[in-house]
Amino acid sequence: MTNKARLNLLASVLLPLCVAVLLFILWQTEVLHILLGTDTITLPLPTRIGEIIGQNADAIWEHTQISLRVALGGLVMGSVLGYGIALIATIFPKWGAGGLSIVSAFNAIPIVALAPVINNWTRDISTEVDQRSTVAKMLVVMIFCTASMSINAFRGLTELKPFSEDLMKTYAAKRGTVFLKLRLPNSIPYIFTALKVSVPSSIIGALVSEYFAEDTVGVGRQIRENIVKGQYPTAWAYIAVACIIGIALYAILMLVEHLVMKRRKG
Amino acid sequence: MKMKKTLALTLAALMAVQLTACSGSETSSTSQTESQATENSSAGSSDEMTDEERIKAAAEAGKVGNWGLGNEYEIQALLTKYGLPIDYITQDFTMDQFDSDAITLASAMTYNELGLVKNDYDGALNYGDSVGIIDMNDQGVAMLEDNLFCSKKFAEENPNTVKAFVTASMKGWAYACEHPEEAAEIVFAAGSSVSAGHQEYMAKEVAKVVTTDTKGNPVSADKVGQMDEAAMQQTLDLAKKYIKLEDTAASEKLQSFTLDDIRSTEYLTYDPEKDGAPEKTSVSVQLKWLPQCQFMGYYVAQAKGYYEEVGLTVDIISGGGDISETTAVYNGTVDFGVTWVSNLINANAGGMDLLQVAQVYQRSALVLVYKK
Amino acid sequence: MTKLKRILASKTTVTLVWVVGVMAIWEVFAFIVAATKRTPINVLPHVWQIVESFFSDKAVTGKMTMAQLIATSCGETLSRAAIGFLIGTVLGYLLALLMNMSGIVEKIAFPYLMIIQMIPILGMAPIILAITGDIDSSRMVIAAILTFYPVSTNTLAGFKAVEKEKHELMYSYAATGFQRYIKTYIPFSIPYFFTGLKISAPMAITASILVDTLQGGNGLGCMLSQSLKGGMTRLVFWDIVVISAIIGILSYYLMGLIEKLICPYKRRGQEVIL
Repeated sequence: MTNKARLNLLASVLLPLCVAVLLFILWQTEVLHILLGTDTITLPLPTRIGEIIGQNADAIWEHTQISLRVALGGLVMGSVLGYGIALIATIFPKWGAGGLSIVSAFNAIPIVALAPVINNWTRDISTEVDQRSTVAKMLVVMIFCTASMSINAFRGLTELKPFSEDLMKTYAAKRGTVFLKLRLPNSIPYIFTALKVSVPSSIIGALVSEYFAEDTVGVGRQIRENIVKGQYPTAWAYIAVACIIGIALYAILMLVEHLVMKRRKG
Repeated sequence: MKMKKTLALTLAALMAVQLTACSGSETSSTSQTESQATENSSAGSSDEMTDEERIKAAAEAGKVGNWGLGNEYEIQALLTKYGLPIDYITQDFTMDQFDSDAITLASAMTYNELGLVKNDYDGALNYGDSVGIIDMNDQGVAMLEDNLFCSKKFAEENPNTVKAFVTASMKGWAYACEHPEEAAEIVFAAGSSVSAGHQEYMAKEVAKVVTTDTKGNPVSADKVGQMDEAAMQQTLDLAKKYIKLEDTAASEKLQSFTLDDIRSTEYLTYDPEKDGAPEKTSVSVQLKWLPQCQFMGYYVAQAKGYYEEVGLTVDIISGGGDISETTAVYNGTVDFGVTWVSNLINANAGGMDLLQVAQVYQRSALVLVYKK
Repeated sequence: MTKLKRILASKTTVTLVWVVGVMAIWEVFAFIVAATKRTPINVLPHVWQIVESFFSDKAVTGKMTMAQLIATSCGETLSRAAIGFLIGTVLGYLLALLMNMSGIVEKIAFPYLMIIQMIPILGMAPIILAITGDIDSSRMVIAAILTFYPVSTNTLAGFKAVEKEKHELMYSYAATGFQRYIKTYIPFSIPYFFTGLKISAPMAITASILVDTLQGGNGLGCMLSQSLKGGMTRLVFWDIVVISAIIGILSYYLMGLIEKLICPYKRRGQEVIL
C-alpha cells in the first residue's frame, strides 16, 4: 500500500469519527436537543442509552442475532433472485424486460402492509410460531432487496464498454464466452452499487417486518414496543444497536468491495 | 458457515411454501380431517370444558393471542392466575389467526374485534354464536382502558380549561350512551371510515362498557367519567406486576407509583361561576385510533354543542398510529389524549408526567374469544 | 404475416403477456385458497373480485364507494409523496454534487447518509414531529429522508464513472471546474441519476403510505390498516395494494419518460427497461 492510499484510508475513517465525536458532545451537552427542539425523554442522552445497553446486553444480543438472521437471509435470497432475474433479462432481452418491470413494481407495493397477509401465506409452513414467523420476515426482506439488485445487475450485464462487444465479435467469441468474459465481470461493480442500497434496506426491512410478526422477538419489535409504551431510552438503545449492525455490515461490504476491485485491477 | 445454514433453511422453507401451495388441497384436506377429529373428540366434552381448562389447553399448545404493545398485561395476569407461563403469540391487526386456528384463544375487544368475529357485515367473520368468550372482569384481572388525560403541567396552568373540557366531554358520553344509534350516526357524519353496520354495533357495546362497572353494577349517567378507586387500584397493582421494563430507573419509578401519581379527580366537576372561564379556549384531543364509536362521546359533545356551551373550541384529532397519544400530549402537539390506563402508567414510568383527568370506560372490554 | 410477427414482437405484447401471466399465477393460487380456506378473501382474493369491488357502487364506508374512497385517499397520500420525493431528489442530487467536489465531504457524509437510513422511522418520527409541529409536514420530511439515499448514491456513482480520457480532455482544454461539471459530470451522470429516481419514485409512494400509519388521517395507509383491522371489507386492502403497485409502476415509467425527454441520445441497453 502506498503512503497516499494509506493516508486516504486513514482520512475516511478519521473524518467521520471526528464528526461523530462532535455530534456526541453536542448530544451529551443537550445542545443538539435545543437545535432540534426536542428533549431528553424523546431523544435520551448517549450515556443513558449506553447504560441501558450495558444493563441488558444479554437480551439485546439475543434480539440482535434474530434480526441479523432475518436481514442476512432475506438479503441473500433477494440478491440471488434479483441477479437471476437480471440474467434472464439479459439472455432474453425482449421478454426479460417485462419481468424487470414487474420486479420493480415490487418496490411500489407497500410491503409493510403486506406483512399480515404474508403471515397468512406462511401459516401452513410450520406449527411452530418462530419458524413460520422467520420465513415470513425473510420474505419481506427479500422483496425489499430484489428490485435494486435486478435493475443494477441488468445495467451491469448490458451496458458494456463501447466496442468491447465488437472486439469480442472480431475474436469470433461465442455468446457464452462474451457472457463469461465480458458481461459477468462488467456487472461486478454494479452488484456492489446494488448492495450499497440493499444492505441498509435489508436491516430496515428486517426491523419493519418484525413490527407485525407473530413472534414477539427481534430488535425491530423491541423498538416498537418501547416507543409505543413511551420507553424512549430503551427504544433508543435498540435503535443504536440497529445502527451498529448496519454500519458493521456496510463496513464488511466496503472491505469486500475493496478487495474484489483491487484484485480485478491487479 | 452459519450463513449457508440459514440460506439452506430458508430455501427449504421457500420450497415448502410452494409445496404446500401446490398441493394445497391435499395437505389442507388432511389438516381438515385432523381438526375435525380434534373437534369431534372435544365436542362431547366441550359443554363441560371450563374456562380454566380452555385457557390451560390453549396455553400448552402455545395458541393464546394478544397484540402486545402494552395490551398484554391482563392476559398475562390471567395466565399467571392459572399457574401458566406468560407467553403469547402476537396478534396482528387482523383476526385472521383466529380464523385459521393459529390462535385458539384470541384477544378481542367486546366493542370491536368480538363484533368482527361474530357478525356478518363486510369485513367480519360471521361466526355468530359458535364462539364463546372469557371475560377479564369475571376473572378478576380487569384493567381499565380508555381514559382522558393531559400533561400535569397543562392541568396546573389551565385548570378551568381541563374542568370545562372534562365535564362537556362526559356530558357527551352520557348522551351517547343513552342514544347509541344517534351517536353512531354522529360519528359516521364526522368522517368515520368504519362500515355502518360495525359502527352501530360498536356504539351499543361501548355504551355497555361506559355504564357498567367491573362487578357488573350499572353506573348512572351523572357518574360517567368517575374513577372507581378499587378498579383503579387493581389496574395499578397489575401494571406494577406485569409491566416489565428493561430500564431499571423507569422500573423503580413504576414500583413507587401510587394512584395520586397518575390521576386526579379534581377536574370532574366544573362551575363556571365559581371557577371562572377557561384559560385556554382552543384545545385539541388526540384519540387512540381512527374516528369510530370507541370515542363517540367526544363527537357527540362536539355535534351537540356541549363544548361551545363551556366556551371551548375543540379539534378532534384521529390517532391510530405509532406516534402514541402519550407522546403527542407530552410533546405538546395536542392538549388532551385518550389512552389506556396501563399506557399512561408506562409513559409516566418513562418520565412523561401525565395526569388522568377522567376514566370513561368503567370495566375492561377485553375478552378472550374461542371457537366452541 | 409480417404484420402478425411485428405485433407479436411489439413491446406492448410482451408487457401484456407478462401481466396476463402474473394474473394467471395469481388466479391459480386464488382458486387453491378459495377451495381450502374459510375466509379466502383474507388470504388471496380472485383478481375479478378486486376489479369488481373497485367499480362497484356499493358504499364501503357508508358514504363513499370504493373508487371514491381510494381516489380521495390517493390524493392525500400522493401529494405528500410528490413533495417528499421532490425534496429528497433535490437534496440527494446536491449532496452527490458536494460529495463529488470534495473528498472530505464525501468521507464525512457517506457513512452518515447510511446511518440515517438505518434509524427506524419510528424513532425519528417523534423528533421530526416535535420539530415540524404538524403531522403532515412530518410525513413529507420522512418521505424525503427515505427517498434521497438511492438518488445520492446512484448519482455519485455516475460522477465517479466519468472516464479518465474525458478528464484529460477537459484538462487539456483548460476547462474551469464549472465547465467540467456542465460538460462532463452532469451529462454523464444523468442515466445514473435516473436509475436512482426509478428506484426512489416508487419508494416515495411506499414511504408515504407507510408514514400515513404514524397517525390517523385519510391517506391510503390509514385506510389500509383500517381495512385490515376489519372496520370495512378486506377488499379495500387489496384494492389499495393493487392500486399502489400500479401507481408505483407508473411513477417508474414516468421517470423513464422524463429521462427520454431530457437526454434523447439513448445509451445502449437502456431502452429495454422502458
